[in-house]
Amino acid sequence: MIALRDAAIGIEGRTLIAPATATIEAGRFVAILGANGVGKTTLLRTLSGGLRPLAGTVRIGDLDPAAVGPLERAHRIAFVTSDDAPVDGLSARDVVASGRYPFHRWWEWSEDAADTAAIDGALADVGMTGFSGRSFETLSSGERQRVWIALALAQEAPVLLLDEPTSHLDVRVAHEILALLRAQAKAGRTIVCAMHDINDAATYADALMLLGDRKMLAFDAPERVFTAALLERAYGIPMEIVRAASGAPRAFAIGNPYGADPGS
Amino acid sequence: MGVPIRLAGLLAIALLALVASLLVGGSFLAPGDLLYALAHPRANTDVVTILWQLRMPRVCIAAVVGAELAIAGALLQGLLRNPLVDSYLTGVSPGAAAAIALSVVAGVAAPALPAIGFVAGLGTAMLVAAFARRGAGLDAIRLILCGVSLSALFSAIVTLVLTRAGADYAAQILAWLAGSTAGRGWHDLFFTLPYAALGLAFALAAVPALNVLRLGETRATAVGVNVARTQWVILIAAALLAASAVAVSGSIGFVGLVVPHLARRVVGGDARALLPASALLGAALCAIADAASRSIAAPAELPVGVLLAFVGVPTFLYLYLNMQRARA
Repeated sequence: MIALRDAAIGIEGRTLIAPATATIEAGRFVAILGANGVGKTTLLRTLSGGLRPLAGTVRIGDLDPAAVGPLERAHRIAFVTSDDAPVDGLSARDVVASGRYPFHRWWEWSEDAADTAAIDGALADVGMTGFSGRSFETLSSGERQRVWIALALAQEAPVLLLDEPTSHLDVRVAHEILALLRAQAKAGRTIVCAMHDINDAATYADALMLLGDRKMLAFDAPERVFTAALLERAYGIPMEIVRAASGAPRAFAIGNPYGADPGS
Repeated sequence: MGVPIRLAGLLAIALLALVASLLVGGSFLAPGDLLYALAHPRANTDVVTILWQLRMPRVCIAAVVGAELAIAGALLQGLLRNPLVDSYLTGVSPGAAAAIALSVVAGVAAPALPAIGFVAGLGTAMLVAAFARRGAGLDAIRLILCGVSLSALFSAIVTLVLTRAGADYAAQILAWLAGSTAGRGWHDLFFTLPYAALGLAFALAAVPALNVLRLGETRATAVGVNVARTQWVILIAAALLAASAVAVSGSIGFVGLVVPHLARRVVGGDARALLPASALLGAALCAIADAASRSIAAPAELPVGVLLAFVGVPTFLYLYLNMQRARA
């Protein structure tokens, strides 16, 4: 369970999200939505313990993630960052095996049975079993994203944070990744995922946390967050809500392709 | 071929190199005499004296220094994710050289020089690290910039001393600068071993974190690596290893830069294999270079550092470029 109590989120003293209170129960899949620069990544970093809230408290279970070292955090929280540092000379399995770092003291250098089970299980969960020996550099963007998620799964942490895992991926791969996260939530993990595609978020997440206007505009079921007024406020562009054949809401920005500034 | 087999192969190469370098020198020892002398260290023959008092300590020092420099280079290359970094990155060698040069002209007795070189080398590394601090950890770019600029400063001091000092002093300083194991004995080896062991212990403690750091600092932190602490552990390990090497043999370049690359080609980038492989290759390379330095122009000696650069650099460039082409 993740709990924010009057937590103000920001970085270097600059508040991005005014004090907000929210609870994310175990086994839920929450998508964080909002415009670029609104504080999605900063919120994830605060949940991961890498940053402190500027006010209020953040708890993962009963743990204050910013009060403990990286090792203790890694047992509770796995964080798939959007960092794209190059990875040289490692196989897909080597990358996933890094997720077992928190389970070893510095002198324990070899993979034990629990490691093997966790690594191979994680590779299977993301559908990458056949790729374990492949060099990471030769993988496609979608395959790399699966490997990063497998690394996080191998960590066996109850909370999984992801920063835009489906950006740069084609439609099919993006849906496969989200379905995989959905399955992980069903298996009991708590998933918090920053996203750009609001319709994908509404399709797969249990709840949407909508950020904008320097605050948490909404934190509710997708049905209730999908109002033109809320989404317009968050993204600063006119929105239209339609119903898909399934009855699910879909939101579309009403563009202005031929020029004129909408304000004039 | 599995990594353990490759490591065993490197061990065999290192042992062969050690034995070979015991055989050659000012006079060639017959293998039979060598075996006799090895088995009877207290016998009173010329061969025993040559082997146990002259060659054995030098060969051991060369091997230890080679291993130290190679491990320090591998550690720093891994920490900074930069293949151009060598074991002297933090100014260990110029710092020690400046202190030695000043001590020589101040009339400090020769036996005290290794200790002075060690302290100055380690001190320079810590000074560079202090400048490169960012938060609890170290800034990689700043570390490189401070290392390079302090190195330039200390090299300038050495040059200044060399131009102002008399010919005798200059010769003594230059002999040290060139990097050599000539005239080193058991006491030099025993001086360096405790620091080498301490440096090695720090290095081994950093092995799992070093492996995860290959994913970058952000991802390493996410899986539980205390990056700031790891940076200090690795920096201290590398400084101890490089400073204790410099203290007994002067500045031997090339090993710390090149050996980790060769080792990576043989066993891959996993630190669990890379550090032992670097150590073995570094030891073999320095032992052979030391033997060559004793025998090529015997009875005169060529400095090991110069020899390594002359023979090693072209060989390395040839091998490396060929391998690159083979991969492409």
